[in-house]
Amino acid sequence: MEKFLLLIREDLQFRANMTPAEFQHNIVIMTKWVEDMARSGNFLNADPLTNSGTYVGHNAVLSDGPFIEAKESISGFILIQAESLEQATSFAQLCPLVLNGTAAVEVRPIMDMEQKPWKEWV
Amino acid sequence: MERVGMNADPVQYTIDQLYKTHYGKIVSALCTLWQEIPLESVEDAVQDAFTTALTVWARPAINSDPLIAAGSGIPSNPPGWIYTVARNRLISLIRAEKRRWSSLDLHTETLSGPASSAGSATSDFPGFGPNTPDFSGSIFHDQQLKLLFACAHPDLSPKVQIVITLKYVSNLKIDAIARALGMTGDGVDKLLLRARKKIRDERLFLLDPGSPSGLGARLPTVHKIIYLTFNEGYKPSSGDAAINESLCEEALLLCKDLLDHRLGDNATMALYALMLFNAARFKGRTSPTGELLDLDEQDRSQWHRPMISLAGDFLRLSRPGPLTSYHYEAAIAWLHCSADSFANTNWRLISRLYLRLLRLNPNPFVELNYAIALYYAGDRNKSFQIMHQLIKHSFMNGYYLLNAALGKLYLLDGDIPNAKKYLERTLDQTEHPLETAFIRRLLSRLPPASDHRGAAN
Repeated sequence: MEKFLLLIREDLQFRANMTPAEFQHNIVIMTKWVEDMARSGNFLNADPLTNSGTYVGHNAVLSDGPFIEAKESISGFILIQAESLEQATSFAQLCPLVLNGTAAVEVRPIMDMEQKPWKEWV
Repeated sequence: MERVGMNADPVQYTIDQLYKTHYGKIVSALCTLWQEIPLESVEDAVQDAFTTALTVWARPAINSDPLIAAGSGIPSNPPGWIYTVARNRLISLIRAEKRRWSSLDLHTETLSGPASSAGSATSDFPGFGPNTPDFSGSIFHDQQLKLLFACAHPDLSPKVQIVITLKYVSNLKIDAIARALGMTGDGVDKLLLRARKKIRDERLFLLDPGSPSGLGARLPTVHKIIYLTFNEGYKPSSGDAAINESLCEEALLLCKDLLDHRLGDNATMALYALMLFNAARFKGRTSPTGELLDLDEQDRSQWHRPMISLAGDFLRLSRPGPLTSYHYEAAIAWLHCSADSFANTNWRLISRLYLRLLRLNPNPFVELNYAIALYYAGDRNKSFQIMHQLIKHSFMNGYYLLNAALGKLYLLDGDIPNAKKYLERTLDQTEHPLETAFIRRLLSRLPPASDHRGAAN
């Protein structure tokens, strides 16, 4: 199996304005999703992120980050193992926040440094 | 399973039963016939045929209809009737779209005669009449298993694999699938829409999973589908009891089918044993008034002893070969089933088995079970230490079962303030009324407020 990082992207302004009850509901449904992935042996790690942070620009200028203004900022990550990018995508499509239309998920394969295809060329 | 009373409409009953046993088979048989037709259209045609049957079979018999036995509205070969009607609908569809479907010219040129009525179908289409698939024989078991292996496609997530298995192998309707998996009908529809595209694009139902060795490669995925389907049915937090029980039955039937056809291996036997051990305790998990009971509250005389002993036989048979997580889980279940009381359970051995399971499949949810077993095995400090580590984890922090376990174990430990703290936290961590009621019952066992303020000081 290969590893994939699922990046949850959502509107942080919207997230900041959620009521505690809405936020709690999101935690319940996201935990269920994670539990399902753990049960099937695909879950590795996950954490949500706070809405604020710092941003170090190319010229080393420090700012509070453009996170909250961006329509789709990273709000959490999930590390999973899956058979293929296709299967990893199939997990992401079941993310409850995707299903209720409040978030997008970016699915990125973790680069496997051990894989050196030229080994098979010789 | 459909529950039908004695005075139910026999036509409705026959059709429900037929749907249950044949929906996926008829769809896949038609897919094999015309590989170019989208799966949705094939399903629509089969669905329409079932709807047509409802009105046509309810009418008194018409002698001129060769497919319907005289004296009864229900045809002598109901699956064959549905198949023929659905096939004819597809033929009309192909005709209508003939120009656009230029690749189908070869097929459509051979199709002639009236295609829309079921009665006139048999002889007009060479190759289809007498050779209508035999919807009565044992080949269907094989076809069903073939479909099961097709659903175990490595590009689909386990949830999608389960949904299409329930749809095309177990022939459950969408609303039943939604209720069983705690999803909305809309959610299941969306998921099926994507899955159908995949099924069509990659000819999932048409390609033979191949040689026994090809089957073997997908066997672990098939096991996982069966295991997760059973679990969905077994956990009390989704669906209603009857639906849940039928999901467990489906999983057991599929597993038994694998074994009967000698397609399984030692992991299949361990999985079958595990599910039997758990199914044997299905009834014991709720009180006569429908409350959720914890393991220590269950009436063990309610457990189904013959099923437990059968499970033990399969677990013994599963021994040669590599040990899988199913072996460890089945062994744990066996230790619970063979203990005459909660107190006399071999918790030491159970905790060691959980540790093995954890090494095989490291995740916080298994770790929680390990910690609970440690507490009952007498290793209280290590148990709380692990649970407090777990609760620091963002997703576990709001996890109902972890907070409920902490609350319950603090209650047993006599630490009332902590028991109260964790139990109260669970109340907005579950949306299931049975679980909330369970927690409220534990909370009611706590001494009144004035008492435990004293205890905390």
